[in-house]
Amino acid sequence: MSVKKLDKKALNSWVESLVAGQKVFGVQAKGERFAFAELTDASALRLDYDVTMLPPKKYFLPQREDLLTFKRSGGHESVIECDPFVLLGVHPYDFVAIRQMDAIFEKDNDDIHYKARRNAATIVVCDVQNASENVFAGCMNGAVVEDGYDVLITGIGKDYLLDAGTEKGEALLHGVGAPDARAEDMAERSKVWEANKAALKKHELKCAPADLPKLLGSSEEHPVWAEKAEGCFSCGSCNLVCPTCYCFDVQDEIDWNMDSGRRYRCWDGCMLTNFATVTGNHNFRPKVEDRYRHRYYRKGKYIPEKIGEISCVGCGRCITACVAKIANPVEIYNRLLEGK
Amino acid sequence: MSKPRVAIFDFACCEGCQLQIVNLEEEIIDLVTLVDVVEWREAMSEQSEEYDIAIIEGSITRPQDEERLKEIRERAKILIALGACAVTGGINKLKNNFDLEDVKKCVYGKDAAMPHLDTAMTKAVGEVVKVDFVVPGCPINRAEFAVIVRSLALGKTPVLPTYPVCVECKMRENGCRFEYDEICLGPITRAGCDAPCPSAGHWCYGCRGYVDDPNVNAAKDILEKYGKTIDDLKSKMLLFNSKQEPTL
Repeated sequence: MSVKKLDKKALNSWVESLVAGQKVFGVQAKGERFAFAELTDASALRLDYDVTMLPPKKYFLPQREDLLTFKRSGGHESVIECDPFVLLGVHPYDFVAIRQMDAIFEKDNDDIHYKARRNAATIVVCDVQNASENVFAGCMNGAVVEDGYDVLITGIGKDYLLDAGTEKGEALLHGVGAPDARAEDMAERSKVWEANKAALKKHELKCAPADLPKLLGSSEEHPVWAEKAEGCFSCGSCNLVCPTCYCFDVQDEIDWNMDSGRRYRCWDGCMLTNFATVTGNHNFRPKVEDRYRHRYYRKGKYIPEKIGEISCVGCGRCITACVAKIANPVEIYNRLLEGK
Repeated sequence: MSKPRVAIFDFACCEGCQLQIVNLEEEIIDLVTLVDVVEWREAMSEQSEEYDIAIIEGSITRPQDEERLKEIRERAKILIALGACAVTGGINKLKNNFDLEDVKKCVYGKDAAMPHLDTAMTKAVGEVVKVDFVVPGCPINRAEFAVIVRSLALGKTPVLPTYPVCVECKMRENGCRFEYDEICLGPITRAGCDAPCPSAGHWCYGCRGYVDDPNVNAAKDILEKYGKTIDDLKSKMLLFNSKQEPTL
């Protein structure tokens, strides 16, 4: 696979050609912050962004998505939407999260809806140019990715390296009239990676991520859960902005004709009061404290036991999104390390 | 099976929630295909004393209104409170923060003592009669109203969200109003509106009332972090949540 070197002008032309030829979702300014949105004007792309408010998971697991349509008089049909698209400017930590979602959604029951969207996507990862205020991806193996992406963009000085990692990526770079990167350019890229591993540590985790499952295994009774839960609104903001939170609720909705309808799923969150409410109105995590602890156990113990990776990539969105400022995972895990 | 007969009544309110039903536009046809609307002052001239479902808009502010509401309750199998005024008392409960005589003088001046202008402390519909279902909001979200009507027609109990507005606000990818140096009632207010106010750049007024178990203590605790006072928060809660439990 080839690595091309483009100057700013050539990069813009490439983005323009992408936008002209297919559906592209890219990072753009939204108010004073950033969001992934459909890109129709190449100049609106902001590869210098720090972090988006929502992670790109919304393109694979939308906030609300129809799963099937049905008729009470008989029959149902799966709804599968899979128009091809390019996702442009995904930060490495978010890409790590997408790969974790891939592992989750192909486990047990293969999720055809997720898979269709995932297969329809070409993902262009972009190395971080500006660190956000709460990012700690450098502590969570999320600061850089060295494989798996379709294309990786890295800014080196005034130029950009575009690295095609897959055939899909190679096709996306087809026709780019730029020179191949030289050995010294690749050395520059390595320097960017090393710099990002150090820079994306606005909070410092005092242990290796791999130590977390064992740490949590002995921390069920730690006082930090109740202390933090006192300030919790159970608003689920930490869940909703999390790139690795994938829980959803499923509901049926009937049309006015009382015959046809649809089954949809929408984002849910384990911090919400009724997340664990089941038939008979039994809630097996009725206390805020139980829900609060559960979320950290999901990230640091339960998911790792399923897929072998810590399910926190250090994007820091939860820290920023929490109104009560009680959702800093690094603070929690460091507190557990102190043992009291 | 005959279609359920529905009557819509209004008490102290602006009738904006009924207007939201009218604003269903072409869906109105679907609605009247499903139910038989027998009385609805805002949209038709017919009246009826026989109905299965009564939809009540507005809050109860006079003794004679209480009597009228109780009669409606007796006739109806199902009673639905429509909109903030009916569900929580809404902005009409601002009145309950003051002395009733002062309120009358302030509003009616020299006519304050006229018998037809007599008024009482505001009550939500549920404070006078049993309410079976509520459609909160100022105004109501007509899509939510439509879902509730269709659920009832199917014999399915409509369920309102138990989580706060933050959920829908985050899903719409809005910047948090607290980051804009505002106090937003989103964290303690029941969702279901799809967060139109924060999405338009304004803090949540709390028009849908509190979630079931609002963490009011947390709301107090965070004020300091954002350089605000309890009075700042109270002043925001007055508009739609006067005399609502829990209070600060």
